[in-house]
Amino acid sequence: MAEDLVLDTAIRDWVLIPLSVVMVLIGILRYFVSKLMRSSQVPDAKIVKEGQLIVRARNLRASANFIPAKSFRARRFYYSNEENGLLFVPKGQAQNAQAQMFSDPNMAMDMMKKNLSMIIPQTLTFAWVNFFFSGFVAAKIPFPLTQRFRSMLQNGIDLSTVDVSYVSSRSWYFLNLFGLRGLFSLILGEENATDDTQRMMQMSGFGFDPTRSLGAEKDGLDIIQHDWALPKFEQHAESVLQKLVH
Amino acid sequence: MAGHGDSGSDKKSSEATDLPIFNAENLQSNMKVIYYCRTFMSIIGGVTAGILGFTGLTGFIFYLIIMGATSVGLIAKAGFSVPSYFDSWNQIVLDGFLGGLMSFVLFWTFAYDIVHIF
Repeated sequence: MAEDLVLDTAIRDWVLIPLSVVMVLIGILRYFVSKLMRSSQVPDAKIVKEGQLIVRARNLRASANFIPAKSFRARRFYYSNEENGLLFVPKGQAQNAQAQMFSDPNMAMDMMKKNLSMIIPQTLTFAWVNFFFSGFVAAKIPFPLTQRFRSMLQNGIDLSTVDVSYVSSRSWYFLNLFGLRGLFSLILGEENATDDTQRMMQMSGFGFDPTRSLGAEKDGLDIIQHDWALPKFEQHAESVLQKLVH
Repeated sequence: MAGHGDSGSDKKSSEATDLPIFNAENLQSNMKVIYYCRTFMSIIGGVTAGILGFTGLTGFIFYLIIMGATSVGLIAKAGFSVPSYFDSWNQIVLDGFLGGLMSFVLFWTFAYDIVHIF
């Protein structure tokens, strides 16, 4: 392998540091822009109702063992009987809801805005880096890597004799893109808009169908084994209190 | 670093009954705090490793030490009674380990380059 390269300090002052600072600032800017563009539409009453219903049913399922068997059966009947139970969905309505979801223009618009606010800054920054800093060796990672990483870390310079641990400026951009996520979650709080992986998850859940989750919740309620926990708790309380006394 | 004190404690009865009693929201809040601590520590540790000029395996060992210290700190903050705040020991010791590595490598490289390469 080649011996140590001597890098100009001007590269540090005018490539490495500005690039990282710009990446951080663009991340913050993107967060606030997407926050501004988020339209505060009035949520559909039906969808909110179904969501709350699911939460209630889930609560019942989670704490089923803390109520007597009779109360549990009454509640379960209320949720999942075949005539007018809240979780029971007639067959015909399922398709309808999904079609309505897809045809809702507001939703698609919101999706597109989110996507654009993600893609446009990334393309612009990439073009900027490409235009100004193409072909620089900008950094050196402090640990050795195998040849396999050459295409990843030395994107933009075609020299096979340079040690793999030298990083081109374009690849430094990519490293920043992935590594700064932790920093963003620290400075922007929990639900920052820059988390790309989470975005992907949401996108795949676009065809989300509330009626299906209603059905799933109903099945969950139906198969639950009720076992009232509280009778045992008197002994438990007794032992705890006795421990306190001693 | 935020403590878990404000998030309330999840009491889980470990004796007499094997019934788990805990509050899912509080548990999640505790996990979030752990995640924040780990990210914060990995960034600080990365900068420290870069300034001290660690290379190769030394740096990764340093990361392990930092994460171990974070775990010990978190356990101490939980008053050494981990089961009353978390489901299992894995959560407090291992969670967020790989997520912090990326930040660590980035800041390690950054600080190392600025101080030592040029």
